[in-house]
Amino acid sequence: MATYIIRRVIWTIPVILLVILLIFSLMKQIGGNPFRQTERAVPAQIQANLERKYNLNKPWYAQYGYYVKDVFTYDLGPSMRLRNRTVNQIVQEHFPVSLKLAILAVAWGLLIGLPAGILSALKPNTLFDYGGQLFSNIGFALPNFFVATLLIYYLAVRNDFFPTNGWPTDFWDFNDKRIILPSFALGLFFMAYIARLVRGTMLETMQQDYVRTAKAKGLRWRRVVMRHVLRNSLIPVVTAVGPLIGLVITGTFVIEIIFSIPGIGRYFVTAVGARDFSVVMGITVLAALVVILANLVVDILYGFLDPRTREARS
Amino acid sequence: MAVQEPRQAAVEARAGVVHETAPAAGEAIQQSSLWQDAWRRYVRNKAAVAAAVVFILIVLYAFLIPGFWIIPGIWTDWIGNVDPYDVNFAVANEGPSAAHPFGTDQFGRDLFARAALGGQVSIEIGFAATIVILVVAIFYGGISGFVGGALDNVMMRFLDALYGLPFLPFAIITLAIVGTVNIVTMVIALSIVSWFTDARVVRGQVMTLKQNDYVRAAHAVGARWYRILGRHLIPNTLGILIISMFLSLPGVVLGEAFISFIGLGINPPDASWGSMANEGREAYRTHPITIVVPSLFIAAIVLCANFVADGLRDALDPRTRET
Amino acid sequence: MRKNSWLLLVAALLAVLALGVVGCGGDDDDGDGGAAQATGEEEGGEPAAVQEITMAWGAEPPSLDPGLATDTTSANVILNIMDPLVVLDENLEPQPNLAESWEENEDGSVITYKLRQDGKWTNGDPVTANDFVYSWKRTLSPELAADYAYQLYGIKGALEYNSCEKNCEKLADKVGVRAVDDYTLEVTLTSPQPWFVGQSAHHSFLAVHQATVEQFGEQWTEPQNIVTNGPFQLEAWEHEASIDLVKWPEWRNADEVDLERVNGRIIVDGTTRVQAFEANEVQALDGSGLPPAEMSRLKELDEYELYEYLGTYYYGFNIKNITDVNQRRAMSLAVDRQTIIDNIAQADQVPATGMTPAGIRGFEDINPDSPWTPASGDLEQAQQLMDQVQNPKTDINLFHNNAPGHREIAVAVQDMWSELGINTTIRAQEWAQYLEFLGPPPSDQVDVYRLGWIYDFADAINGLELWTCDSGNNNTNFCNEEFDGLIDEARKTPDDAERFQLYAQAEDIMFGEDGEMPILPIYFYTLPNLEDTCIKDTFYIGALNSLDLTDVTVQGECA
Repeated sequence: MATYIIRRVIWTIPVILLVILLIFSLMKQIGGNPFRQTERAVPAQIQANLERKYNLNKPWYAQYGYYVKDVFTYDLGPSMRLRNRTVNQIVQEHFPVSLKLAILAVAWGLLIGLPAGILSALKPNTLFDYGGQLFSNIGFALPNFFVATLLIYYLAVRNDFFPTNGWPTDFWDFNDKRIILPSFALGLFFMAYIARLVRGTMLETMQQDYVRTAKAKGLRWRRVVMRHVLRNSLIPVVTAVGPLIGLVITGTFVIEIIFSIPGIGRYFVTAVGARDFSVVMGITVLAALVVILANLVVDILYGFLDPRTREARS
Repeated sequence: MAVQEPRQAAVEARAGVVHETAPAAGEAIQQSSLWQDAWRRYVRNKAAVAAAVVFILIVLYAFLIPGFWIIPGIWTDWIGNVDPYDVNFAVANEGPSAAHPFGTDQFGRDLFARAALGGQVSIEIGFAATIVILVVAIFYGGISGFVGGALDNVMMRFLDALYGLPFLPFAIITLAIVGTVNIVTMVIALSIVSWFTDARVVRGQVMTLKQNDYVRAAHAVGARWYRILGRHLIPNTLGILIISMFLSLPGVVLGEAFISFIGLGINPPDASWGSMANEGREAYRTHPITIVVPSLFIAAIVLCANFVADGLRDALDPRTRET
Repeated sequence: MRKNSWLLLVAALLAVLALGVVGCGGDDDDGDGGAAQATGEEEGGEPAAVQEITMAWGAEPPSLDPGLATDTTSANVILNIMDPLVVLDENLEPQPNLAESWEENEDGSVITYKLRQDGKWTNGDPVTANDFVYSWKRTLSPELAADYAYQLYGIKGALEYNSCEKNCEKLADKVGVRAVDDYTLEVTLTSPQPWFVGQSAHHSFLAVHQATVEQFGEQWTEPQNIVTNGPFQLEAWEHEASIDLVKWPEWRNADEVDLERVNGRIIVDGTTRVQAFEANEVQALDGSGLPPAEMSRLKELDEYELYEYLGTYYYGFNIKNITDVNQRRAMSLAVDRQTIIDNIAQADQVPATGMTPAGIRGFEDINPDSPWTPASGDLEQAQQLMDQVQNPKTDINLFHNNAPGHREIAVAVQDMWSELGINTTIRAQEWAQYLEFLGPPPSDQVDVYRLGWIYDFADAINGLELWTCDSGNNNTNFCNEEFDGLIDEARKTPDDAERFQLYAQAEDIMFGEDGEMPILPIYFYTLPNLEDTCIKDTFYIGALNSLDLTDVTVQGECA
């Protein structure tokens, strides 16, 4: 088991380097001058100074080298657009916001999706099941900007149940009402997905011979469910959650724009538009790292949960 | 081969190949019954059929209402006789009526026709992107699985790295790189980081099938590789790939909608459902139908694609029992 | 399960449809939940007990450093936390502020400001003339690479210092600003400039606290470091989220300031801003614009306010691509400006008949009343003119930057030009890339481009000098020596009436009967805003988009 973990961890390093290289090469292709913010042209001398300051006049492999070193020493450089702020500062201020939003969305997903899916599977073909499936199918299909628009109008503007926008600055503040609507809107898709998935895997597991045997042998259904069915059905859910978290984190920008949440997704969109290379690279690399790490964690967890994989993979 | 080996029969039975009649000596074996079987199973599944019908209806709506290429538009040229590009402020922001079943937008353009045009763009992008994804996946996964060995190892490790690339940020960066946004560039942007899972699946399939006795026998006998591909690998993976196509479609359509929503979408006067929804959101208080219509279409397409994919999965995988 | 799941599909589709109906149900007649039912009686006048408001800022200020700020949000925040020499009144005339008086010498090329002696920094230091000398030279310094350094080019030696490449300290000494004594600031200009004092109300002319800047470098504007000298203090700045200002009780005229606290929420999306206002979460917007789609509804509200705004929205031609002046005139004639204003922009903008907007002093004399810019367009004449064009360019690329509102106008114009047989392709680009594209010189893909010019100060020269041959903002390839000559002469003409004549001639070269039409002006801006009735009377945004929070008083109950 330990070797499995160590091997997995070691493999992520070249992966990370490769990802940085890919992102870096892509960024170099984007045209546009990040130093020009108004209609006035940047004087040649100043342009040269700024380029020198950001190492833009060196050959690409040198820049890549600098950048890798910077990533590993956690110094992602200054923002090219906002000269008073560094990418580190930007990431530190805004990434936790998006992270919290994503975590809350996932929490909604698990909180509502898991029980819905489980209960649906335990009581198939009942009204509850149909209702649950209906909900999950719709939640999956409706685009989140539409859902957000409806939620804001009905629950925040027309009736004062929730604030229309904003986000608490304190990461650990979970009492602020502003976190509810955005995380719900973002989490709806997730809820639906989890509900469907859990229902599917549970139904499939319940068909398995060993479950039917246990039932036939007369074991209490409840015990069977808790012991066997749940544990084995949740494995695919765990596998799915990893990449889904990645998807959620990088898909927050629509919700962030609608609800005016100062997250990293919204910032990313602005930075791409402004050709702020250092910020765009910093955020993309960070997002990639998060996804890679999430996958790593999931893989390791999976190794714990499903002993078969450990042998198969090593 | 006139008579089947018993082992081959067992393998084929597991794979779901069912022979209708025992072949007479010398007679060719009907391989296609897998598909007939699947078709029959699919048709029995009412939900999947209904979903497929609705899906086709939406596609027909998108392409026939405003006309497409050389086909004239049912609504724009015949019945309603409207020009979906015609700006006419006198009739702006109207509700549904006989002349305009969905009303008009802020420029006075008929929403019924425009939603269809937007559908053309969204559907084209959706299908094109999923096809590109599949093609890339087939190449990459196919080569990796077929060749195997060290190359396979390297390619899969590389794939591991690519998994880390986040979808939407990359799509946005790609669009920024190419500068212009049109159907082609949008397709590239959406497919560029979406093919990894499918490549894995294809590779897995190819590797399994490589071990298939029938294939090894054929190879031993000297059958050319493209014959093996054509007769064995492709038909067996095709099912999974089609399912995958319908599973990717929602992600692509929603991805395009999100990108258009933040303003990076198709240039006017063309529109996609996503860009229409973006414009509609501003007008929600005054003229909500402009966001409702494209959003519902997106939802409907996604819903139907999911049901079709489910239906296909059940139809092609005989091991799923009905409860 | 499978048998009945088609029921599920049907149910799902029906539910989606139902949501659609629900979505459509949300409409305007049930009144805007929040704003309208505010406080019924507004017999204003009575200041409320709590003088605190929350407002919405339309963007995150890229910088609160007066030397580096270029956008209006930064400018508005800065102008309230700092103390400018002069402020502009409602007629855009300069009024004493930190400078209690000023004098010009005989020919007007030297201006001497006398500063008040009770100006203070928040750390106790007095505000002296030296602060201004330091700050202006800092803004001009090549190291800072300030985008708005050009604002100070009216000062002698400024241009040379700013463009210096090495050994710049000597040039810094030659810049024409010096402190005669602690409270006397003497400014030597390159030529008499009657508009200079008014221009010095611009945020680029503010003083910064030298010791703080030197100590904290680029981080000096963070709330914990910043030292200011204005009526409000920067209490908190959560980037991208909020900016909170509190009254500084030790400001020299603190007893004239009613507001104790201004909480600012940074809301970038226009629709979200309006929603926040209507849910009574903010009492005012900062004038950063209302979504055009909502204008028809918002105009009816009591809370709606329309301000004048000195700026011109125009489409520029690349005259190297569209070479025939008749085609340019035809394209201008084909544009129905009034329709665009009524149906798209919807904020009662004024159809443009020249470059200089109404509201600039001398407008009546300067405005050429161009025959090529009739308010409702003249399609017939346009088509006639178009026929006279030998080789018309019928495939046009129209570029605009990717911000709300421009696309809609482009679509309308595209439709209008199609009547001339012109096929227009609309291309939207992000701002940074867009500016690169426009140069000057513009990329040859550019046939027509969209820009707006917001005036920095209230004299026509600010807009007209854009069109000189070597202006960094002339993206049209238009170059007319006579025009340049007129502008040069205007810079040396302190007498208003004479100068306005020169401006009029310049405008005539551009837009007159024989005008070259390098640009197609569309409208003169206005500034629509939403303000809660409790502050509406005193909340005022000046025509240069300046918001003075010291005037604002909360009267009655805010919703």
